[in-house]
Amino acid sequence: MAASSISEAEGWMAKAYEAVLDAERVDADVSGLLVRLNDAAVLLSEARMAFDVGDFEAAAGYVESTSEVGCEIVDEAELLKIEAANARVYSSWIFLAISVVGVSVVVVASVVGYRFFKRYYYGRLVKMKPRVESS
Amino acid sequence: MKFNDYRTVFQVSSLALVLLAASPALSLIVSFPSGGESFSELWLLGPDNVAENFPFNIQAGQENSLFLGVSNHLGNSAYYLVSVKFRNQTQPLPNINSSEPSSLPSIHEFQLILADGDVWETPVTFEILDASVEGGSMVVKSVSINDRIVQVDCSSSWDSEDRGFYFQLFFELWIYNSERSTFEFHNRFVGFWLNMTG
Repeated sequence: MAASSISEAEGWMAKAYEAVLDAERVDADVSGLLVRLNDAAVLLSEARMAFDVGDFEAAAGYVESTSEVGCEIVDEAELLKIEAANARVYSSWIFLAISVVGVSVVVVASVVGYRFFKRYYYGRLVKMKPRVESS
Repeated sequence: MKFNDYRTVFQVSSLALVLLAASPALSLIVSFPSGGESFSELWLLGPDNVAENFPFNIQAGQENSLFLGVSNHLGNSAYYLVSVKFRNQTQPLPNINSSEPSSLPSIHEFQLILADGDVWETPVTFEILDASVEGGSMVVKSVSINDRIVQVDCSSSWDSEDRGFYFQLFFELWIYNSERSTFEFHNRFVGFWLNMTG
């Protein structure tokens, strides 16, 4: 059991955390991964403390578990990130379509409404009869 | 109202409706700052989970308990490390002004990942296992933190002003910096004094 094994487990833990952060940035639901990441963090703490007091056998066990969980989290976070990114692209297209349709409807309705109102207004004006008042 | 006035009302209301209809697409490109201050909290509570009755006058072999808490308000998930250290009155504390942690070795640690807005709290038990008076000083050889035994070899001279042998257990908060790929002291620590005279 060497210090490099601890460093390796720390490396996996850092990779896992960064992968979860990346997934979180694209609005993926990382709550489940955070629970497992916490479990891995506890294992890593145990490994470091066991190593510090010379309990290398226990440290090796914790290191192995940390690396295993860290590796799994990296893979799962990557998948979640891709899924969230795809969902974001899909919802962007939906939003864009809603906006295009909405703006088109408003523009057409405005132009038609404006013409209708203009005709109505001037029609009423034409029908008005001038009134002459005697002084 | 004249026709021009009606036209102005018409144009303004049409523009408002266009903006309303375009808001789903606009929300994709316009982002608003979340606002608010981002910070982390670190605290200690006594054995009853309130900020009182902290252990003070203690003896070797006596188990003491308290609660340690951390909360994240940074706006994203954060990876924390709490480093537990033990010192006498002359050994260094962290320096908040220069963001320097204490140079003393860690005797225990907690690693945790917190989502934004989450709170973590854990019970901590500690016990002075081996302490003796040697040449006018109190020497603490080993302590137990959460049932883990650690050698500390820390001695404290008699404090004639406050009449006691004083030690301090303190907790430093560190945070993982993903840009530098390392833990950094997060400029927060909490601790409490222990009098080993009894």
